[in-house]
Amino acid sequence: MDVDITEPDSPLEQLTRHWINERHAPDILPAQEALLSSILDHLRRQSDAVQLLRGDPSTSDDEHLRITLVQLDIERVKFIVRSYVRTRLFKIEKYARYITSNADIQTRLTAAERDHASRHADLTDRHFNFSVLQSLPEPQRHLDDETPYYMPPMVSAPDVTRPVFVHALVDCPPVVLPDGTRHEMLKGHISLTPFSVVEHLIARGEAELV
Amino acid sequence: MSADVRQYGELGTQLLLESRRSTQTDTLLKYNDSLVRSIIREQRDLEKSLLSQISKTPENEPPPPAVIIIQTAILRNKRCLLAYHSHRLDRLRDTYWAVGGALPHILSDPDTRSKLSPHEVDYLRSYHSSAMDFRGEFSNELDIMASITVPPKELHVSVKVVKDCGVIQTELGTIDFKKGQRFMVRRADIEHLIVQGYLEEVSGP
Repeated sequence: MDVDITEPDSPLEQLTRHWINERHAPDILPAQEALLSSILDHLRRQSDAVQLLRGDPSTSDDEHLRITLVQLDIERVKFIVRSYVRTRLFKIEKYARYITSNADIQTRLTAAERDHASRHADLTDRHFNFSVLQSLPEPQRHLDDETPYYMPPMVSAPDVTRPVFVHALVDCPPVVLPDGTRHEMLKGHISLTPFSVVEHLIARGEAELV
Repeated sequence: MSADVRQYGELGTQLLLESRRSTQTDTLLKYNDSLVRSIIREQRDLEKSLLSQISKTPENEPPPPAVIIIQTAILRNKRCLLAYHSHRLDRLRDTYWAVGGALPHILSDPDTRSKLSPHEVDYLRSYHSSAMDFRGEFSNELDIMASITVPPKELHVSVKVVKDCGVIQTELGTIDFKKGQRFMVRRADIEHLIVQGYLEEVSGP
């Protein structure tokens, strides 16, 4: 019998899980503003403490060694935060135009990310206008043409049918696969399913992407 | 004469081939202004023949099949043009992040600069200011522009100066980096200089 997971995860464990999920998910996952700001606050307090101890002449050699370890740890946590933020930024820029026209996905972004998305969508449109569209005949100048079925749409949207590997953290309620069959994952199981099938499990923290 | 005979969309295919070659060789190719212009010219001609086809059709009659062919060609060319430009923007953004958002570093490099169209330079400038706004949302503690390729293993790094880069603030105080010198410095303080090619990591003590 392994240990029950009633003990809540540490903020760093949560961050690591959100980071890995975000990197694997085709769609943009809900922003973790509270978690992120508490971790950043913590990092700041740690750095301040480190500065104070380093400046203190009574700090022993042994403590200096430990300070170095703390500093390295700070750098490593920052690395994860940075990578997490940048992963989201990459997706936001990729789907910028889609985000500006979709209220649902906007609820999953922070205010700063929403601003960046709309700035980015305008920036890209402007570049297309100056480089291409303004030289074309009037009827061809739009960025929202109706496309025939054999062409990809002009606004790229996240592909939620993309398959992902999902690892059940607890016994999950059954999910319905695209062909209608029910699929039940017990704790510890790993399955390959379309992202949309397990999206809600990931949002609730019952499963993680691997 | 026969060399001038082209199929619809042939130029568009050439443009896409450039994008593909750029991906395969992982390099930014020179902006192909003349090809882009030729396709835009083709688009204008196609639009004209489309209009003349439609005007020739008597009312109450379905348009001739030629209309569909021309429309498809127009649509395809347009998508090729946009795809080409969009692919280049992706590459430019990758370059931008690879040097940690040091825009002057990209624009002052004559080799890169010569490959960009004037609009692309404008784009990079606006993108830079947008990215800076976003960066400003985070506290001073966290610089989101820093590298995310390799997780840090050590606090300090031994570096060799490849290009003079002037006086830099580090935790040991200010250091004047002169070409040829070696230093042991805190990675976070000088990482951007490694990325931009001023300093080089030296392995071993």
